[in-house]
Amino acid sequence: MSIPIACRGWLTAFLVAAPLAAQSIPVVEKTLSNGMRLVMVERHDQPTISLGWMARVGSADERPGITGMAHLFEHMMFKGTRTIGTKDAKRDAELNDLQDKVQTQIRQEMSILRERQRRGEVADMMDPKARTPRLQQLLKDFDGLVQEQRGLVVKDEMDRIYTQAGGTGLNASTSQDRTFYIVGLPSNKLELWMWMESDRLANPVFREFYSERDVILEERRQTLESRPGGVVGEAFNAMTWAANTYHWEVIGWPSDIAQVTREQAATFFATYYAPNNLTAVLVGDFDPAKAEALAERYFGRIPANTKGVPEIITLEPAQPAEQRMIAEVETTPSFQVEYKTVSAVHKDAPALQALAGILGGSSAFMGRPGGGGGRGPSGRLNKALVLDQKVATSASASFRGQKLGGTFSLRATPAQGKTPADMEALLQTELDRVAKDGVTEAELERYKKATQVGLWNRLETNSGIRETLSSFLAVGSVQDFEGAQARFQALTRDDIQRVAKAYFPRSGKNVLITQRAAAPKAAEGPMDPDLAALPEPVRARIKAQLDTMMKLDAVALKEQLTALEGRLSAMPPQARPTVEYLMKKGRERLQKLEAK
Amino acid sequence: MFARTALALILGATGALAQSIPDRPEKLAFAPVTFQIPRAAEHKARLKNGIPVYLSLAEKEASPLVRITLSWRGGSYLDPKGREGLAQLFGAQLARGGTATLSAEKLEDRLEALAASLGSSCGDTSGNLSLTVLEQDLDEGLGLMLQVLTEPAFAQDRLDLAKRQQKQGLGRRNDAVTSIASYQMPFLLYGETHFASQDPTAASLDALTREDLKAFHARLLHPSNLVVTVSGRGNRKALLAKLDAGLGALKAGAGAQVSPAVPAPTHVRKPGIYVTDKDAPQAMVQWAFPGLRRTDPDWHAALVMNQLLGASGFTSRLMKKIRSDEGLTYGVRTALGAGPHWRGDLTGSMQTKNRSVAYALRLALAEMRRMCDEAPAAEELKVIQDNLIEAFPAQWSGRQAVAARFAEEALLGWPEDWWVDFRTKVQKVTPADVRRLAQRLLHPDQLLILAVGKASEMEAGDADHAGKLAELLPLPLVRLPLRDPQTLKPLN
Repeated sequence: MSIPIACRGWLTAFLVAAPLAAQSIPVVEKTLSNGMRLVMVERHDQPTISLGWMARVGSADERPGITGMAHLFEHMMFKGTRTIGTKDAKRDAELNDLQDKVQTQIRQEMSILRERQRRGEVADMMDPKARTPRLQQLLKDFDGLVQEQRGLVVKDEMDRIYTQAGGTGLNASTSQDRTFYIVGLPSNKLELWMWMESDRLANPVFREFYSERDVILEERRQTLESRPGGVVGEAFNAMTWAANTYHWEVIGWPSDIAQVTREQAATFFATYYAPNNLTAVLVGDFDPAKAEALAERYFGRIPANTKGVPEIITLEPAQPAEQRMIAEVETTPSFQVEYKTVSAVHKDAPALQALAGILGGSSAFMGRPGGGGGRGPSGRLNKALVLDQKVATSASASFRGQKLGGTFSLRATPAQGKTPADMEALLQTELDRVAKDGVTEAELERYKKATQVGLWNRLETNSGIRETLSSFLAVGSVQDFEGAQARFQALTRDDIQRVAKAYFPRSGKNVLITQRAAAPKAAEGPMDPDLAALPEPVRARIKAQLDTMMKLDAVALKEQLTALEGRLSAMPPQARPTVEYLMKKGRERLQKLEAK
Repeated sequence: MFARTALALILGATGALAQSIPDRPEKLAFAPVTFQIPRAAEHKARLKNGIPVYLSLAEKEASPLVRITLSWRGGSYLDPKGREGLAQLFGAQLARGGTATLSAEKLEDRLEALAASLGSSCGDTSGNLSLTVLEQDLDEGLGLMLQVLTEPAFAQDRLDLAKRQQKQGLGRRNDAVTSIASYQMPFLLYGETHFASQDPTAASLDALTREDLKAFHARLLHPSNLVVTVSGRGNRKALLAKLDAGLGALKAGAGAQVSPAVPAPTHVRKPGIYVTDKDAPQAMVQWAFPGLRRTDPDWHAALVMNQLLGASGFTSRLMKKIRSDEGLTYGVRTALGAGPHWRGDLTGSMQTKNRSVAYALRLALAEMRRMCDEAPAAEELKVIQDNLIEAFPAQWSGRQAVAARFAEEALLGWPEDWWVDFRTKVQKVTPADVRRLAQRLLHPDQLLILAVGKASEMEAGDADHAGKLAELLPLPLVRLPLRDPQTLKPLN
């Protein structure tokens, strides 16, 4: 094959580019006698080690009734063991049992309330006002047990031990597919990590279980419910995934979080936290042979789950019809269309990532399996919708590949004077262009180079390597990590055109249109009929103005009324009712003030 | 695979025979780790025009990337009245608007061809232009960076777009309790006129022109305002030569000025409990006490006190009480501001459901009172000290972190080697010091509390833990109205 001279410049530049990142990170993989896997990367730049272990369990392994369990579990793993976290293991265990007994009775009362809610006798079974007298007493009894246990608890002892040892970033995270427990330590503390982590796997105690459910409800409020669009996003995801267990959010449905039991947690642990379902990731200043021997001594003592881990059987059926959700959200209007595609390790995933990268802007680097896209300045969507046509203020494309499946999304925020619905055809046009004409060779080569830099960006620190490796391990294997770059470099323009044709049928569309909702009114009680007569969008603001006016003294209020009167004549007719309303209320108030 | 497993079994068996597992982690013994703190002098150089450069380079670095950051003193404290948002817009547009010889599109095209990223931003008192590029493309990348620094074009269409995007962003100010709190608190702390509370408005964004950005650029572009960091793969001498040939030749232009001192606020704070009404399922709570500067002789004692109170996660007293014991929040944390332009504040924040606000704050105040009443136990203090000392090397993890640390110190005007005796000073803090600093800083009568959430529920408190918000402290309870998202004028 001959290469035209003109092209040789950039081709050569590309070929002498950086060595493939993943292949330059030497990964050592070992399996312990009980089936636990160790994945290790040796780096001696600094005297630190980034450590983690992953349980291959996430919210996708749950079922209705225990949604949120994988995540609740992540919290429970910090509550200690038979040794860590208590002054008196024996009494602590007794108190846990007593708490379970009271909770069993509480659940009986909750069943009664659930039935009352079902029959419409109470509006919300979680409302304190709906409690039965017996429930109220049981909650009091339970609180007594919690108080007694609190006297025995060595509060957050695990955190204290790591903190004192110079630990950084002690944390854990739960996704649909995996749960990952991490910490960074000075390099001399590897054995401490082995001790602590194998202890919490070998001897866990789920103490403070029931109060932790409250923490999670607060976490749900903070990360989902009080975020504009949070609960709409949850509903949209549930609409998109019909059968697959990605249907619910990792944090779970509130009803389930509030009712899950310690016994259910114990069963979950026995099933999914056995060593043959665990992988540890160690990156930094240590000797892998010594680490393996230590791991065998510490983690090797935990028996395997010989029954094996249940597989997720349910497959998402092909979507038979386009689905649409139109929501009012208290934020800037937006448009999104999402298609279900393939898992992160599917052979078509790199092509879908490249498609997202080229549409969204390849400066949004990949570095994870199944990640890709974004909103770069030179992405096709940004060029067309934002820069050229000026119909949107942002436009992006993304591919999200997970273990059991993936999604491909196009999003746009309409510019002033445009609606979310206007975005749909414009985004479709860009997608159709790729399906019809493909992408250019230059776009593809740039994308390939960007993926290399993107991966290197994530592989410069111990923790960056740990996170990147683990993201591949969550959906695949070390080989998937090592082969990632080669798969991208092998992509052709045909691959991208083929996936653009194959994965975007009209029946696969899930559309989310959000309109700006008026700010919810802060006032309680029935609305003043005069206020209710005003147009809905201005009510909140008028109410706020009124609240302030009502706090004025007579002199100031008079001044305000005079000022309003002066402005009235200059107002457009449609604005007058609001001012007249304010003036009416103001005069009523003034009369009262003056009567005093 | 079989061989590997068999070997593991043998190793495991012999290991188990040779050494058993102690029953408590405290019984483990650890070899000492020595960590030499990087010294500024080893990393510092000066260009021929005096610009300081902090380098952390290695020729054999696995990653082929080079990162160069040019930081400047100067930011939104220089925004003229009515032009709020100038510095921020300048920062956003510097690398986005092309240069005298390259249109914005051409610049982006070149950067994309190199898979390089060139970004810029500007905050209250400083900003930066930052390049990440493959070592093989360094010359072209550096050339583009220098062009952007010295002759940015601030293309009109890109500026218009940025203004449209920013104005759309203004519209979201009242959408979440967090964004409301982030504009309300600065007004309480710094008053209505100090730059720290002056955010852009629709009118100030409308007023900003390309000429404003150009003038702002001209005033900043003075060698005395600049600090450079370089990290990644490369040879120090070669890189310095390249920088000297380009950036080293930079001279102060006609409009260039050494950025003046940052003005301290003169606002007299009015301690109180401030409530902003917003219908949301969860409230955002923030508070602030007057703090101190990092140059204060008691700084390290204050730092340790703050870690113990609320800045070391689950090991902090507030987290243990409010999250672990009571389940009232997903997180509560405190932070100690350091200056340098004026003394910092000791601030705190948490989110909790509306009706729990009063109770959670009461618990927090009780913990603060305990800090003032009793010196901590020596063991509790030691946990905090050991953490600051043992985790110290991790703060210097990575070439980028080392170079950035020195540059940040230089930019703020702190002594370059301030961190050298950090561990020794932390070690010397005593329980009595911690109590003394708690008494010095945690004055409830100087406290500003801001709670954004459903006001009626927050003020009424929790049925299970009676106590109204107004009864929390002998401080006035003040309803603070939302502000108009476009004008930032109070909505009344």
